[in-house]
Amino acid sequence: MSAPTAAERPGIGRLSAMTAILAGEWLKLRSLRATRVILGVVAAAVLAVAALAWHVANLWDGLPPDQRGHLRVAELDLVVSLPVQLCMAVLGVLAVTSEYGTGMIRASLVAVPQRRALLAAKAAVVAAVALVVGLAALFGTFFAGKLILGDRPVAGYGAPLSDRLPMLFASALSVLVFAVVGLGVAAVARSALGVSSVVVALVYVLPMIAINLPKPWSDRVYSLLLPALPGQLAESGYAGIPYTGILPPPGALAVLVAYLALPLGAAIVLIHRRDV
Amino acid sequence: MRANPLRGNVVRVIEVLGLTKRYGRVTAVDDLTFTVRPGQVTGFLGPNGSGKSTTMRVLLGLATPTGGDALINGRDYRTVRRPLHEVGALLDANHVHGGRRAATHLACLARGNGIGQARVTAVLDQVGLADVARDRVAGFSLGMRQRLGIAAALLGDPGVLVFDEPVNGLDPEGVRWIRELMRSLAAEGRTVLLSSHLMSEVALTADRLVVVGRGRLIADTTVTELTRRGSLEEAYLSLTAESVAHRAVAPAERGRR
Repeated sequence: MSAPTAAERPGIGRLSAMTAILAGEWLKLRSLRATRVILGVVAAAVLAVAALAWHVANLWDGLPPDQRGHLRVAELDLVVSLPVQLCMAVLGVLAVTSEYGTGMIRASLVAVPQRRALLAAKAAVVAAVALVVGLAALFGTFFAGKLILGDRPVAGYGAPLSDRLPMLFASALSVLVFAVVGLGVAAVARSALGVSSVVVALVYVLPMIAINLPKPWSDRVYSLLLPALPGQLAESGYAGIPYTGILPPPGALAVLVAYLALPLGAAIVLIHRRDV
Repeated sequence: MRANPLRGNVVRVIEVLGLTKRYGRVTAVDDLTFTVRPGQVTGFLGPNGSGKSTTMRVLLGLATPTGGDALINGRDYRTVRRPLHEVGALLDANHVHGGRRAATHLACLARGNGIGQARVTAVLDQVGLADVARDRVAGFSLGMRQRLGIAAALLGDPGVLVFDEPVNGLDPEGVRWIRELMRSLAAEGRTVLLSSHLMSEVALTADRLVVVGRGRLIADTTVTELTRRGSLEEAYLSLTAESVAHRAVAPAERGRR
């Protein structure tokens, strides 16, 4: 046993220290069984939406031509984006609660006492995974839909890909934001308990409340909520989602960034201060 | 003997200086001062709830002191980058994610410090877990978890080692193995701080003793010195008599009351 002692070791730069911390956090995330389960659920959601497309295609073909115009189906990538957003929010939550729930956080912080760097690395890894998964699921759904529906002008597939690109990227960005919100809220709360309710509140409860506010407040409040932001960012309002189009794209982007930055910022301040 | 960069000038590798830690109105550690030197095993002894674990948590940057300092190699632990090369610690063997395999758990900690897979394999071998390296930790006994925790502490081949109650849950063979490991680590010139609430265990392993009760220093002595007062057990119990919150009345005394 003769590893170099502290004095003999070459100085460790901030960058190489951060690279190592990122490598550790990446291994932690991919060695959780829950991560594989969550990715499986995302794949299942894409397959389910593809099955929906197949059903719609059959329906279309069975309808007399004069009734086909009445067939209304939500955009398939919109349908898939909700389960993908939720799955990645859960991934963000798990990246944190898997450490606090087991006490592993103490071993982790003994190995890496630079707490803010550790949490930033965790957030970076989760954000990267969520973005890749979001892009894969949304584009996968889009192309599967195109393949199955062919040139039937339903479910938003009458238009070419170029019309749809801004929305696909905006939705993928929102998947990333959901993941980091989940991570940030979990790191502030430090337990799975209550975290899920915050996420459910953001996705379901707040929009419900917003919709029932008197006008024009319902529009104004709803436009600030997570589900309304991708559409406003891409400037392509969905048929299925009301009250969008209040914020211009830069405004929508700013609000999206605020959703990402506020819980994560609070978590980074708190992890530095609190005992574990 | 291991090359010690601090040899010749500073021999106080672990320094606890006027350390106080309060949780609300409860004082867990109360103006505690002691130092730990290299080349020997220092036993950190005290009844349950005497502030041993809190002191170790402050030492390792997990808790912020209310007052005073806890330094390793003259520095605040939270300022050290890749600290596993300098300090190894086992605080609680159950602080692991049961879903990970033993080797993966160690690799997660190793990667963050730039330590490679070869070292993970080597420490698993050293603690006798090579055969279960690919098993999930959830199936491990407490004794196996203690060994895994010790493996984690050894990852960076550190000069300073801190162990909180490492013999809990170990069978007699495991207890003896730990004792010999501690002694060999100290013989290599490393600094070893070992906490326990069992005098009998520490007496067999440690050279020096730091005894605490209710967060305060009771004695900073050597095992040899303490033995001069008669039975170690008696010496320890009389030292800590004032600082134990609950103690059963001995059968012999009961009749007299």
